[in-house]
Amino acid sequence: MVLKPLFMKPRTLYSSNPFFSRQPKQISISLVRLPYTCTEEIQILVQTHLSRLLEDNRFVVTAEVGPPHGADEQLLIDRVLHVKDYCDALNLTDNVRGIPTMSSMVCSHFVRDCGIEPVMQMSARDRNRILFESELYGAYALGIRNVCFMTGDHSLLGSHPEAKMVYDLDSIQALQLASHLMSGNDLAGDTLEGTPHFYLGATFNPYADPIELQSWRVNKKHKAGARFFQTQAIYGVSRFERFMNRLDVDAIKTLAGIIPLKGPRMARFMNRKIPGIKIPETMIRRLVDAGDGLSGNEKRGVVRSEGIRIALETIEKVRAIDGVDGIHIMGVGWEESIPTLVKEAGLYPRPKKGE
Amino acid sequence: MARLNVSTSFVLCIQGHLFSIRLFMEIILGLGRMIVMELKSKEDILEMLEGYEKIVLFGDSGCAQMCDVGGILQLEDMTDFLADHGKDVLGYVFVEGGLCDEFATKQELEKHKNMLEEADAFLVQACGVATQNLTEMVPEKISLPAVDSDFLGTMPERFHHDERCSMCGECVLDLTGGICPITRCAKGLLNGPCGGSMDGMCERDEDTECAWQLIYDRLREIDKLDNIKRIWEMKDWSKKHGPKTIVHEAKDALFQ
Ligand code: SF4
Ligand code: SF4
Repeated sequence: MVLKPLFMKPRTLYSSNPFFSRQPKQISISLVRLPYTCTEEIQILVQTHLSRLLEDNRFVVTAEVGPPHGADEQLLIDRVLHVKDYCDALNLTDNVRGIPTMSSMVCSHFVRDCGIEPVMQMSARDRNRILFESELYGAYALGIRNVCFMTGDHSLLGSHPEAKMVYDLDSIQALQLASHLMSGNDLAGDTLEGTPHFYLGATFNPYADPIELQSWRVNKKHKAGARFFQTQAIYGVSRFERFMNRLDVDAIKTLAGIIPLKGPRMARFMNRKIPGIKIPETMIRRLVDAGDGLSGNEKRGVVRSEGIRIALETIEKVRAIDGVDGIHIMGVGWEESIPTLVKEAGLYPRPKKGE
Repeated sequence: MARLNVSTSFVLCIQGHLFSIRLFMEIILGLGRMIVMELKSKEDILEMLEGYEKIVLFGDSGCAQMCDVGGILQLEDMTDFLADHGKDVLGYVFVEGGLCDEFATKQELEKHKNMLEEADAFLVQACGVATQNLTEMVPEKISLPAVDSDFLGTMPERFHHDERCSMCGECVLDLTGGICPITRCAKGLLNGPCGGSMDGMCERDEDTECAWQLIYDRLREIDKLDNIKRIWEMKDWSKKHGPKTIVHEAKDALFQ
């Protein structure tokens, strides 16, 4: 190949590109080499109620509350008080589907004040590495110790599709970053004024494809520092089991995601709108059949009980799977179902802190 | 220069041929990829031209023609449209190659000197680079964009374009089997698919393939899955940040 002056733009082609003046050499892909402490050997120095229970091989229950869609923290506190005795730690979601809700860090702070341990979720969609660092410092200062990283849904699926998404890092790199901060330096290698320590978690979706690559991703997350995993909602158990069989379950702690179904409408909506959810048609059929011939409040009650029954069956099945260390119940607008589920699954009362 | 010397009439007669055009472009111009753009709405264009009466249009035989926004046909159409709306279109300037090529553009400007002097505004039916080039080259006139530049893509068939590259400044295609995760994954992820990848499709919408499924399939095919087993560390986005200038040295051969 010959570079002829013909193709050169008169104004820009006048000096030297050092590349051409060197000997042929291997060009390596230099994704930034960070001043890394080897993430595989990251010591998680911090202990939390959640980490203690998991390390003690207790069957753990975490739950999730959606932060308010506005500035009323009392709403959050009400939701939290309703479920706090029924779980060991509480996840605060981070602008799910790109619909803006109260900051997960601020909510985590309120949750702590309510006397339960928060799991702060952080998605890679809305923050670059600078904000990740800054928020992790702030979160630690606020007493937040459990952090769960996720990619974050595409904003086109939510109410603010016009937003510019960030994805400076992916969830794996965000975990690397958090692990790295625990070494006492920031990404630039500068010494921190106060080193944060976290119990790091991540998510995975056993229904996502390709299954081999998804299981490698779980490995990568573990290498990057994730110690606990919360899964996408489980409905069909066999695929979940197949996925678990691919993982090194001794190295990680896995909480199986549970979302109780309010009714067939919610199930169909989720299949359509929530990425990574696969509710089998037979399950939806069960909900439809339960309400058959009934109407009004009576119908609603019966259908919801069926939804609870399905969730309880799922809990029972996932408990039997090797490597499942607990469940993670996501109320998704039906937080009242959480106490019922935990009680009826025989998981109540929860161990007290420090027990 | 000979490669670019194609007469306007030849361009015109070939423009209608759906199949030959791509071949033609690829062979003659060496363009299989391009800046993909779309014409703005009629209303936007008229609003932009408010207060300007004498208009000169600009198009080229490169990306602008391949995207059907600034070929001879579209320049003719625009002339009619603007005339219907009371504008005085003095004519058009059509650059063989691209308006991004300042050398070729200058020659055309020279040829149409008198017409250009008379104009109130230039309407550029080519990418944002073209409009800025004309602004710099003819600062005494107003150059206005008739199109929105969308992305760097390919043309599998006429009227169809797929985005392929975001010009991130540090290409990783060698690791991904030739499929760009930064551009074709809806989130630009580097460490494999998000949890929304199902049955080969992307969570964003049912018509978009999951780039990571494609990458996985391709790497399996060429026995390079190891490339994505390890963690890819954070990308240096500073290589993408503009404004950038690259200045090449004139050399006879690569790697000397
Ligand atoms: S990796 Fe970067 S340079 Fe290569 S195709 Fe993708 S966006 Fe373009
Ligand atoms: S589904 Fe695939 S292409 Fe879509 S955002 Fe996720 S990884 Fe990227």
